[in-house]
Amino acid sequence: MTYPAQLLELIEEFQDVESHMERLEMVFEMAEEVVALPVETWSDTTRIVGCQSEAHVNVSLDEGKVLMAGGADAQLVQGLMGILTIAINGSAPAQALLLSPQFAQEMGILNSLSPSRSNGFRNMFDKVMLEIRKLES
Amino acid sequence: MNLALRDDFPILQRRVHGHQLVYLDNAATTQKPQVVIDAMSDYYTQSNANVHRSVHTLAGEATDGYESCRTRLKSWFNAERAIITSGTTEAINLVAHAWGRANLVEGDAIVLTEMEHHSDIVPWQMLAEERGVEVRYVPVLDDFTLDMDVYGASLDGAKLVCVVHTSNVLGVRNPVEDIIRLAHESGAKVLIDAAQGVPHDRIDFDAFGADFMAFSAHKMCGPTGIGALLVRPEIFEEMQPFMGGGDMIETVTTEGSTYQTNEHKFEAGTPRIAEAIGWDAAFGWMEALDLEHEHKRLLEIARYTARELRSLGMTVYGRHDDSDSAVVSFLHPTLHSEDMAHLLDAVGFAVRTGHHCAQPLLNRLGISSTVRASFYLYNTMDEAEAFIAQLKTILERFA
Repeated sequence: MTYPAQLLELIEEFQDVESHMERLEMVFEMAEEVVALPVETWSDTTRIVGCQSEAHVNVSLDEGKVLMAGGADAQLVQGLMGILTIAINGSAPAQALLLSPQFAQEMGILNSLSPSRSNGFRNMFDKVMLEIRKLES
Repeated sequence: MNLALRDDFPILQRRVHGHQLVYLDNAATTQKPQVVIDAMSDYYTQSNANVHRSVHTLAGEATDGYESCRTRLKSWFNAERAIITSGTTEAINLVAHAWGRANLVEGDAIVLTEMEHHSDIVPWQMLAEERGVEVRYVPVLDDFTLDMDVYGASLDGAKLVCVVHTSNVLGVRNPVEDIIRLAHESGAKVLIDAAQGVPHDRIDFDAFGADFMAFSAHKMCGPTGIGALLVRPEIFEEMQPFMGGGDMIETVTTEGSTYQTNEHKFEAGTPRIAEAIGWDAAFGWMEALDLEHEHKRLLEIARYTARELRSLGMTVYGRHDDSDSAVVSFLHPTLHSEDMAHLLDAVGFAVRTGHHCAQPLLNRLGISSTVRASFYLYNTMDEAEAFIAQLKTILERFA
């Protein structure tokens, strides 16, 4: 699929790295990209169910554009959240909904995209998309 | 250990992210020796047919292959009745439906422990809700053992005790012989979840004394999708069919059906033929090993790992006594378990993280997940040392 330019650039950057460990290090660094969701606002509504770590997201619209805020106690989950932030924040909801979770695999950072208890990224991605759909309707 | 043993496992040659695989997720599932892979492949290549039905050659071979697994189960565990199931979970559910529904009524009690796997909790909660049965939980003490005083007190009015032989999180082997004896003295039946026990301990079911014992093939070098329920013969007679269908009947008319009187009564439908043949081959492979010696060797590896982890500032959940399994659950104070597992995977180490399907136990320990390294027959001390060295590097870089 076609990705937004900023995500495409990131995918290429990840693909240029040969060591899986270095790629994970880059994901860790992406944690800084997340718009912080204050811990005191974390609730069952914001919780990413099925995630091994404690991870929360809130999606709202800012002047009609997607604004995802979040946080996680696992650095990797927060890093993936950071990548998703780059991919969708500032986009129109309809455009954000076109995104496929495939990009995480193309970046070479996840072994599986199957929904499961252990796949924090997929659970997060699905929740964010659901929230955007709700906002759109 | 005999290093040639590792050559029996083709998957151990695998490289992951450019690194040699070090498989330390054996409490989740073990790897399969070539003889198991070959036995299943040979069945599909040469003998594939349904069992217990047709008279042709292939059907005879398939039936003999399937029933050989049952014969092996009975001889390996010294058991009179061995029902083949899809695994431990189905075996426990079978007890809940086939024995529990026929024998438990409102006001009865079932005794579980906080150490149980979800598969030994949820079926009983479901039955309790349906039948108005009380479920009691024996607490886990700070030394990771069961509170046997509370256990003794919980037996009053209990009809069934369900206890895990060896914890999949802690590796702690419970005093199951005492648990069985005390339960029987108070008139309760006992189910032992031996999924983590049978891979390390060759249990004599008859001498053991439990009424039911459930376990899976895949934790002991056999295929996934198959397990067994051993049942004492007098209890077997009390069990009512749970799942209806082909193979479990004697006669069927439009007025009703009569059932088989042997284990087939609980094995409706086409069973797991290739898996049974593969499991039989796994038993054959394990027969040549000195399991007691291997258990001691693995425990030394687990103790070394636990000691080193503690020196790195990790909290280790477990005690590694002589009878415990080679499972090491741990947590770092700052680096999240999920992060650690991903970072270990990046350099070829396969470990498990999460709640290990034992949320009540983790709640008791005040945590939501652990990293778990679990060792089995093909693991070596060299791998444990490499694991510790790699963890040191990861901590220096990421913690």
